[in-house]
Amino acid sequence: MMEQAINWLKGWLFTTNHKKVGILYIFTSCYFGFVGAVLALLMRTQLSVPDNNFLTGNFYNQAVTMHGVIMIFWFLSPLAIGFANYFVPLQIGAEDLAFPRLNALSYWLYLAGGIFEIISFFVPGGSANGGWTTYQPLGTSQFSPGAGPTLVFIGWILLTVSVTLGSVNFITTIFWMRAPGVTISRIPMFTWFMFFTIVAMLFSFPALIAALVLLVSDRVLGTVFFSLASIQPSILWDNLFWFFGHPEVYIVLLPAFGVIAEVLQVFSGRPLAAKNVILISTAIIVLPLSFGVWMHHMFVTGVPLALQNVFSISTIAISLPFDLITLAFIETLLHGNIRLNAPMLFALGGIVLFIIGGITGVFLSSPVLDRVFRGSYFVVGHFHYVMVGAAIFGLIAGIYYWLPRMTGRMYNEGLAKIHFIVSFIGFNVLYFPMNLLTDMPRRIFTYQSIGDWPLLNGVASIGAYIFALAQIALAYQVLNTWFRGPPSPPNPWGAATLEWPQVQTPVVGQEAPQGGWIGELNTENVGKEKLHDNLSSRPILLTAGIFVALLGVPYYSSSLGIATILIGLLILAYSVIGWAMDDLKERFVVQDSEAGERWPFHLVSKLKLGMWTFLSSEIIFFGTFIGAYLYIRAASPSWIAVGSVHSIPIGALNTILLVTSGLTMALALESIREGNQRNLLAFLGITFLLGSAFMGIKVSEWADLASKGFLISSQNQVISIAASSYYFLVGLHGAHVTAGLIVMIYLMKKTINGQYTKEEHRGIENFALYWAFVDVIWCFLFPLFYLM
Amino acid sequence: MVKLSTLYVWAYIVAAVMAEVYISAYMRSSASGYTAISLLATSQATAVVLFYMQLKEEPNSIRLFAVIALMFLAALLAAMIATLG
Ligand code: HEM
Ligand SMILES: [Cu+2]
Repeated sequence: MMEQAINWLKGWLFTTNHKKVGILYIFTSCYFGFVGAVLALLMRTQLSVPDNNFLTGNFYNQAVTMHGVIMIFWFLSPLAIGFANYFVPLQIGAEDLAFPRLNALSYWLYLAGGIFEIISFFVPGGSANGGWTTYQPLGTSQFSPGAGPTLVFIGWILLTVSVTLGSVNFITTIFWMRAPGVTISRIPMFTWFMFFTIVAMLFSFPALIAALVLLVSDRVLGTVFFSLASIQPSILWDNLFWFFGHPEVYIVLLPAFGVIAEVLQVFSGRPLAAKNVILISTAIIVLPLSFGVWMHHMFVTGVPLALQNVFSISTIAISLPFDLITLAFIETLLHGNIRLNAPMLFALGGIVLFIIGGITGVFLSSPVLDRVFRGSYFVVGHFHYVMVGAAIFGLIAGIYYWLPRMTGRMYNEGLAKIHFIVSFIGFNVLYFPMNLLTDMPRRIFTYQSIGDWPLLNGVASIGAYIFALAQIALAYQVLNTWFRGPPSPPNPWGAATLEWPQVQTPVVGQEAPQGGWIGELNTENVGKEKLHDNLSSRPILLTAGIFVALLGVPYYSSSLGIATILIGLLILAYSVIGWAMDDLKERFVVQDSEAGERWPFHLVSKLKLGMWTFLSSEIIFFGTFIGAYLYIRAASPSWIAVGSVHSIPIGALNTILLVTSGLTMALALESIREGNQRNLLAFLGITFLLGSAFMGIKVSEWADLASKGFLISSQNQVISIAASSYYFLVGLHGAHVTAGLIVMIYLMKKTINGQYTKEEHRGIENFALYWAFVDVIWCFLFPLFYLM
Repeated sequence: MVKLSTLYVWAYIVAAVMAEVYISAYMRSSASGYTAISLLATSQATAVVLFYMQLKEEPNSIRLFAVIALMFLAALLAAMIATLG
């Protein structure tokens, strides 16, 4: 009994199986959705009548901030990622994700970040209260003192890291793990839309990580990026945040569109109209353009008019593909043979609400109208129609659609219909009044009895309770189905995508028959149903180490804080070494299937595809920092003179050392490509020595600079910001070099063991990429800091 | 056999570092000096990416990753500086 319980627990905590991780994601995100909802109900209760004092102003601000942060980052996206974990591999006939342990790590980092968000409420001073957008300098220690906000931002960084790792994993999976026959044109819609989501994540989250890291550095290390008024830090933050923030709205929306597309096809018994047009316009218009509209969030910050025009036009342009998608959805319905089961009802509801939300968005894209609507409840109405209306309704459609697949049981259709009707009514009672509240500022904690404000707010609050109560039906439905529901047929909706057991993998070179590849029970697919229990304790332990270490960070000036950090680092080191030993001893091996559809990446290895995906996000990550530095330089009234602080000869010498280590690493790779293990070891050794020399010189430079008074804490503002940028960026680069040195020890050990051969040396290959990348960054940092 | 291009790339980068130092000494704080240094830095980075990271030999699909990231980054940097007016 006892042993059984332990095994059960291990099966969840150490799992790397995509289905189990998916279920963990789904339940965890729903828990955070519950937390976000409680905060929302507190706010709506406070706002239900004028001059209310149910909440204090300060707590209201925390609630409004954390409601937004938790709902968007810990509920909406992770719910979609949960579905993606479970169904993307099944839809493309893959055994699992490309990197199963990395996937588990993503989940645990997500959870750890979420725990930070929650405990932030319970530390003295409470949580962050500057809005989910954290406009600066509101997030700096001056305006948000205390450990709570620091914990929020640290947790947020963990989440963004988790998402970035996940993006690498999914892109590699979708491109490299497809079963034979699942060619590009046969990738199902949900997988496609998850792919678009993940590409947007890959390139937008690094800007957010960078912004948050700069902010935490200000709070913890005392840098002055966001507190020095002379460099207009609020605009710096706005740019970085919204460069991420606008793609984020598509990140939230597109998974739901993927579900809606699947559901529409199945429940109207008809293939999606204009499928290729939808896919292509999303890929070549929505994705690229989503990175070119962010300044519509900054129309009133005083950015030049010409720039406002450009971004107003791009915003209108990006709404066009959505018109197209909506029309295609409607077209699919018009000629369909429609069945109104719960998934379909929620999908249709999502489309209707998206239309309302989209139209209000078009109003906001006009700089003139935005002057009026900006910062009002109209904006709150707009984004809830898209985020809750379209996105949540779409994802709930997914819950009903896939519940029979995940549990093997059928939910109660009658209750589900009631759930839909009450949700839809509650939603509109809640949010429609906000479209009319164009003159009420958002984020205020109370209001006086002006005009129709009391009426509209009262109605909205009633709607909030109706909507929230309706979701109890969903929770009941899911649990009841899971444990007690009547058995469901294997493919209850007659769907034609591969995640359903009776659907066959397409036959290579043959057209799909009418209705898809539905046939007799496909034994091959059923075989995959077994959970292959690849357990690994490393992902959760590694996360625990990071969690404990970061928990100490806000308290690093006390000995307890230092002790916490050290304990965390010990756990981290233990698990990293353990992970490395697992690899060295080949204890955790992922068998790649021999054949599969890999176009257009059939010529590269899985690891290399993953590595380049990761590097492309690193380009944005480092680029954002360099961009922030350029911005600061351009905004600063004056700067330190070239050569007056940093020694050019020492900098140049160090650059040459690092560049030379780049050469020796390239030679190391060439050696093993020819199977020469001795030269590999020798060149790795030289690379290691050169890298260590580079770091040694750095440290002595820093000591020298500090003794000359080149300090972040300097009273002289120019020195203070110059020192902030220098220590931060060069330090970050140095941390990458140091990490590389540590990995090199492992590589040398593995080389000595003789585990790298002419045929198998992927570790070296990927490390060479990393090391060269560190070189590339320095090629820019040296001139930027020493010569310009 | 060591590929000669590997060594040439190294020699080029070292020479470019010297040139940067030289330019910064003799054209201090001038716009053309800054431009020249930026171009040199970009050329070094490109050389490393093409030869040491072997992007030169990778299929176009892999190159696309870097190109897309650089495009988005360029948009961010340009607009960010432009907001300063
Ligand atoms: C795709 C689904 C969409 C989502 C999830 C979404 C989400 C959001 C969010 C969260 C905000 C508020 C940001 C804040 O806190 O200040 C916002 C504002 C805005 N949205 Fe959307 N939006 C979507 C679609 C659109 C569309 C289609 C347009 C225009 C055609 C649009 C234009 C705007 C504009 C201009 C603002 C800025 C309003 C202001 O603060 O002045 N959005 N949106
Ligand atoms: Cu936007």
